[in-house]
Amino acid sequence: MNAIELRNLTKSYPLFTVDNVSLNVKQGYITGLIGPNGVGKSTLIRMMLGMVRPDSGSVKILGCDMPKQEVEIKQRIGIVSDECFYYEHLTIIDMKKMIAPFYKKWSDRKFNGYLEQFELSPKKKIGDLSKGMKIKLALAVALSHEAELLIMDEPTSGLDPVFRREMLDLLADMMQNERNSIIFSTHITTDLDRIADYIAFIHRGKIVFNETKEGVFERYALVKGDLELLDSDIRNEFIGIRETSVGFEGLVDHRHKAEQLFGDHAVLETPSLEDIMYFTSRGGYVHA
Amino acid sequence: MLNLLRKDLIALKSSLWTILLYLVVFSVFFIPKSEMSIYFVGIYTAFGTISLATMIDIKNHNHHFLVTLPISRKHIVQAKYITAILYTLFGVLASYGIHWVVKLAIPQLNKPDYTVLDILIPIGMLLVLVSVYMPLFYALSKKGAGIINAVFFVSLIILAQPAAFLMNMMGENGMVDDQMILLILIGILLVFIASYFLTIHLFARRDL
Repeated sequence: MNAIELRNLTKSYPLFTVDNVSLNVKQGYITGLIGPNGVGKSTLIRMMLGMVRPDSGSVKILGCDMPKQEVEIKQRIGIVSDECFYYEHLTIIDMKKMIAPFYKKWSDRKFNGYLEQFELSPKKKIGDLSKGMKIKLALAVALSHEAELLIMDEPTSGLDPVFRREMLDLLADMMQNERNSIIFSTHITTDLDRIADYIAFIHRGKIVFNETKEGVFERYALVKGDLELLDSDIRNEFIGIRETSVGFEGLVDHRHKAEQLFGDHAVLETPSLEDIMYFTSRGGYVHA
Repeated sequence: MLNLLRKDLIALKSSLWTILLYLVVFSVFFIPKSEMSIYFVGIYTAFGTISLATMIDIKNHNHHFLVTLPISRKHIVQAKYITAILYTLFGVLASYGIHWVVKLAIPQLNKPDYTVLDILIPIGMLLVLVSVYMPLFYALSKKGAGIINAVFFVSLIILAQPAAFLMNMMGENGMVDDQMILLILIGILLVFIASYFLTIHLFARRDL
């Protein structure tokens, strides 16, 4: 079953378009939504949350239609964003008093537990919190009402490495319940190397791939070799290639074909998600 | 719905003194000077409170916050209209109460005997103001909504005297009878209801 189903989602802005995107986010797994800044990750998430109305297409979350069943959906999801949506002049405890009554399954015990774990004082004003602390608070709120689906938009961008690790552990804990799912948009791909089951890559408003992390690493290869191996036909086999005076490295999305093509003349490595993102977004040739 | 009203109250908690300040300042300014002070104090205080609440919302990206909660956009608008009615009643009734006390305590100010009409007129005027203000507030972006607040306040200050003069003239010339008042009140209610549906329509379509 899918936690999220996007069908033919389109949204046009004067300088940018999310173009006919269809995407399934599997229930029970962590899906990483990756892509460089400004390619449509946040727009896609905002459309999932009903903050941005698509020009066409449909959004289904946990089997319910958005925006028709928006209230039911939002009872069952938690949202963590790098933007702080809370009232700056209120304290954490006031904010909790404001938010808690909206949720049927809110647990004060859980919320207080997370505040303690994250070392957040309930008496502290939201305006006095650092960016990382605000994200911790958003996470505490999201985890205190038994959300089945966590939608996270760049949640780790303002966090120190210690809490980033802690947060990834918390997410892994949440996934102990097989019904739970997480979609996690980020451009810090090392976080996903650690926890993601599926990777969806968005580029220029289109989904490039959405498959298991293992599948991605099996399919893609980073080829490194001498320049004399390259001619125009070979260059066309690469998604992106970087040439220097001493050699080249390039990304291919058919590892087996590359093995046949280069044999022992080039080194084939498993690329990182960052490599895939870099070469796909740069495309063509890069001379360094 | 109650949760949304509660949310507004919590957000406004630390600014409640500002509302009382509005009431005191407008009373001190208008009561000794204007025959129609009961309208001005009520309207300015109520609209000041509505404006204060919406400014707190704007400053804190309130719409972004609200759409993360399990409520529909229709409920968000509904709650804002209900709070606007509550602030209207507060402003107008507080003004009536202050004028009643002033009439007893300082008879030399020669304040007239107030009637139900002196409560209904400012309520009607505020409902018209809210009917224009809310669709603009929900249709515009953060920056636009801030400008709308400023424009409304300046307009209120500029239009107060001509409006008072017009109402005085109509009253003195006997141009307004009971039937006319009833028709005006029905008209205002219809405008208010139309504004409510328009705001829902505009806010439902808006990208946040």
